[in-house]
Amino acid sequence: MMKANSLDPRTKIFIVAIISTLGILYRDIKILSLIFVITLVLAFILNHDLLYVIKRLKRLLIVVFFIAFVQSVLTNQGEVLIQFYGVNILTDYGLLKAAEFILRIGIIILASVIITTSSRREILQGLVQLKIPYEIVFMVTTAIKFLPMLRDEAINMFTAIQLRGLDFKKIGFGKKLKVYKYLLLPIIISSILKAKELSIVMEMRGLRAYPTRTSYRQLSFSLKDYATMGISVIITIMFVVLN
Amino acid sequence: MKDNIEIKNINFKYPKSDLLFNAFSLDLNMGETTFLIGDNGSGKTTLSKLIMGILKISSGSISIDNKGIDQCTLGEIGKSIGYVFQNPDHQIFGQSVIEEMSFVPILLGNDSIETIDKADKLLDNFGLLHKRESLPFKLSFGEKRRLAIASTLMREPRYIILDEPLVSLDMNNMDIIKITINELRRTGKGLLVISHNEDFANEYADRVIKIQDGRIAYDESK
Repeated sequence: MMKANSLDPRTKIFIVAIISTLGILYRDIKILSLIFVITLVLAFILNHDLLYVIKRLKRLLIVVFFIAFVQSVLTNQGEVLIQFYGVNILTDYGLLKAAEFILRIGIIILASVIITTSSRREILQGLVQLKIPYEIVFMVTTAIKFLPMLRDEAINMFTAIQLRGLDFKKIGFGKKLKVYKYLLLPIIISSILKAKELSIVMEMRGLRAYPTRTSYRQLSFSLKDYATMGISVIITIMFVVLN
Repeated sequence: MKDNIEIKNINFKYPKSDLLFNAFSLDLNMGETTFLIGDNGSGKTTLSKLIMGILKISSGSISIDNKGIDQCTLGEIGKSIGYVFQNPDHQIFGQSVIEEMSFVPILLGNDSIETIDKADKLLDNFGLLHKRESLPFKLSFGEKRRLAIASTLMREPRYIILDEPLVSLDMNNMDIIKITINELRRTGKGLLVISHNEDFANEYADRVIKIQDGRIAYDESK
């Protein structure tokens, strides 16, 4: 199995850009299935802990399947499979659209798993060497770092409020909404305070003190990177030509 | 056995790390003051979070009054055991100090006048009455810690877990917390205090348990 960090993050960004573009461009279910399988294999090769990642995305997958279900129910075209009092509940076309949606989202999620095999610092350096302004790259990577912090913050507060004797499963919907509303403000305030502290720390460390930045670590492409990008381009051309 | 927290043969590990607790067992009497001491990373806070059901054990059992915590929701555990986090920011939500104290009891259907009255008395005991309309996020660390304890006491839990209650406090705030611990002991409340300060433990504890690398190094009753 290829070690995830043996590839340059720019190569991974390149692969992800190609896979996501193909996933969005094609509508044919057979092609989408093929792209999905290729992405799955690639993600498995690069990420030895793919099952753990999928487990962590369990809730997101439930939402994806729910949206796919709603989409299939709301599509009226095609041969009717289930009908209820004259109303078309499920058609073969609706099912096809739902499957396309699941495959497309699956491709994008698996492609993003490939990126996450590089550290935040490596991705930042890769984007800088791709000539993207440092300030923008820093903001994006910091925002990515903040998302799990925001989630942890919300989980902590939700746990703490239940520990005050609030049995969330047993209270009514209106009270649940009140709790969510109650928790929203502290989560936002806490995130803003953390962002403010971070910005002060960065200023103190000399961020933007000089007009240009140098970096101790420089990424360089290896033969493996060139080969991976070459194979990706060939596969992409094959897709475009054959379809 | 009644009024006990019974921890039996539990195993626990954080993802991607070694086993922290391996066949760990401990009985806690909910009527006495127990101090859990040990170095940083020895497993004190983790153990308290396992008792509260915040973290889940991989095997073994934890029961409160003979009822397994796996059969209880966080809310049910929270009704009998109060938990004060090491970092008070983890448990402060209100848009004012008085709301922080009264939101949950009022939401649970308690009389609002009685609740506010009780909250004011507790705030007065903890020297926070003059801050009753302040935004809790703007309080000092010591005031936040006091507020976290006061809001935990609002629903009068039978047992209280305090995680490092003296950490990062000045002498004045330490004294207020120590007086509170004494007062709670005097009224018969059981406490589990997590600390790495052995002097503090020897001064207030009925029982001191030292945890080291997920094992009991010693267990002494005073």
